Amino acid sequence: MQVNLIDFWPRILEATYQTLLMVGISLLVATLIGLPLGIALVVTKQGGLLENNSIFNGLSAVVNFFRSIPFIILLVAILPLTRLIVGTSIGTAAASVPLIIFSAPYIARLVESSLLEVKTGVIEAAEAMGATPWQIIWRVYIPEALSSIVLNLTIATIGLVGASAMAGFVGGGGLGDLAISYGYQRFETDIMVVTVLLLVFIVQATQMVGNLLSKKAKRQ
Amino acid sequence: MIEFRDVSKVYDHNGNELRAVDHVTLKVDKGEIFGVIGFSGAGKSTLVRMVNQLEKPTEGNILVEGEDLTKLSKPEVRRVRKRIGMIFQHFNLLESKTVRHNVGFPLALVGTPKRVIQKRVTEILEFVGLEDKADQYPEELSGGQKQRVGIARALATSPDILLCDEATSALDPETTKSILQLLKRVRDEYNLTILMITHEMNVIKEVCDKVAVMEKGAVIEQGTIFELFSNPQHQTTQNFIRSVIESDIPASILRGIEKRGAGRHIYRVTFVNETAGEPILSQVSKRFDVDVNVLFGQITELQGIPFGHLVVEIQGEDKEIVKAIDHIQSAVTVQEVYSHAG
Repeated sequence: MQVNLIDFWPRILEATYQTLLMVGISLLVATLIGLPLGIALVVTKQGGLLENNSIFNGLSAVVNFFRSIPFIILLVAILPLTRLIVGTSIGTAAASVPLIIFSAPYIARLVESSLLEVKTGVIEAAEAMGATPWQIIWRVYIPEALSSIVLNLTIATIGLVGASAMAGFVGGGGLGDLAISYGYQRFETDIMVVTVLLLVFIVQATQMVGNLLSKKAKRQ
Repeated sequence: MIEFRDVSKVYDHNGNELRAVDHVTLKVDKGEIFGVIGFSGAGKSTLVRMVNQLEKPTEGNILVEGEDLTKLSKPEVRRVRKRIGMIFQHFNLLESKTVRHNVGFPLALVGTPKRVIQKRVTEILEFVGLEDKADQYPEELSGGQKQRVGIARALATSPDILLCDEATSALDPETTKSILQLLKRVRDEYNLTILMITHEMNVIKEVCDKVAVMEKGAVIEQGTIFELFSNPQHQTTQNFIRSVIESDIPASILRGIEKRGAGRHIYRVTFVNETAGEPILSQVSKRFDVDVNVLFGQITELQGIPFGHLVVEIQGEDKEIVKAIDHIQSAVTVQEVYSHAG
């Protein structure tokens, strides 16, 4: 039985909204975790502002651990944890938990690499002026790396859009779910095409906005 | 005032001991421009970075305005650092901030009110001649302009000391000259003590009052510019001086001398101080029966005073020549006279 695309439109809109919601929430929370984690990795690194081998090795191991689990496995493996946090293991909010756990360590690494692009000489100049480590993080590292951080967060966001499609597996809804359950499993080619186009549009728009913000962040 | 007392810095380099700075004792007086010259790896960068404790000495003491930095806690070190400005070879400006914000940065760090920062930044940008660039970003500036911003930033907090880490090494000769002139003005107007390290002797020659030569972590020679230029003891020092004042007779001139036969009298007359301006050679040729033929020479300026040497051939009877040389030696500070008997 073919569905009428016009009648089906509200369902597509809802799915789009779910995707955006999942990606939005995950991005926000994952950044809140990943950003400090990335900063911590950089400052505790050997030769860093607050060099500390054990903290650096510990954080690095944790980040690597979570980054090595394929998302599809993470998705089901942490179901009990999801239930504990959200109260349920199905739905958009529930799908955000694995997405956050998946992308926070990724964002931490991206932030780390952005911060490492800041020239050591600039950090040294701030140290020579008597800046505290805290001041150096907030007034030198972050503003100087902001443009690069924004670009990297754009990459993370697009990764999240992709991963959110898989979250349909745990009933998270969204465009990916729609494409699989209607387009793939019920051979509704129209739906498949529309959802894919929508995903392409979201990715393109994200990249465009990311580029724009990154360029802006270059000069503050 | 900066004082190094028997300072050493030892790094552990893959289990091997690497002595970057080796028992250095130096004193830089207030208002002085003190240059440290050496090849790369001589330890001069480590030396200057110990003054603001970017590097901690392994042994010895470093005193800044009488305060022993090696005994200070971290917050105390940060306090002292605010009185020490520093400029760098690669400028190290914040790329994401305008010139105005870069210069005001050290003031903002200590919570200076915006209005006060604004005023001070305007004032200091005027001093370095960049008042029209306040709202531009570093990447829009030339190297020389970037270094001016660096200097303005270093001066913003009115420090007592300015450290220059190869500050002109990334600049072309013309720009180097103008930056050095600016540093001189900084010293003259703010009575700052300036410690600069460089591998270029012309930088030392241009602005420094005193100089120390470093090699393999140790200071091998130090003194006033005049002392070093007129009487360099160490081979390395001589090499550095030769890089700005050619003391060897060029090969083409030597060939000319040899072609015209032996038994000729070639002397090197070294001038120091005011005497470089005196017509001593023409006096000699008038008073004695000799002809003075200048083969080669170089007169330069050290701290606004002419300094240099001439290689001359004195022609005439032997006894007249002896008298002439006697006269030259009595009238001017002749450091070295050498004869090429052919």
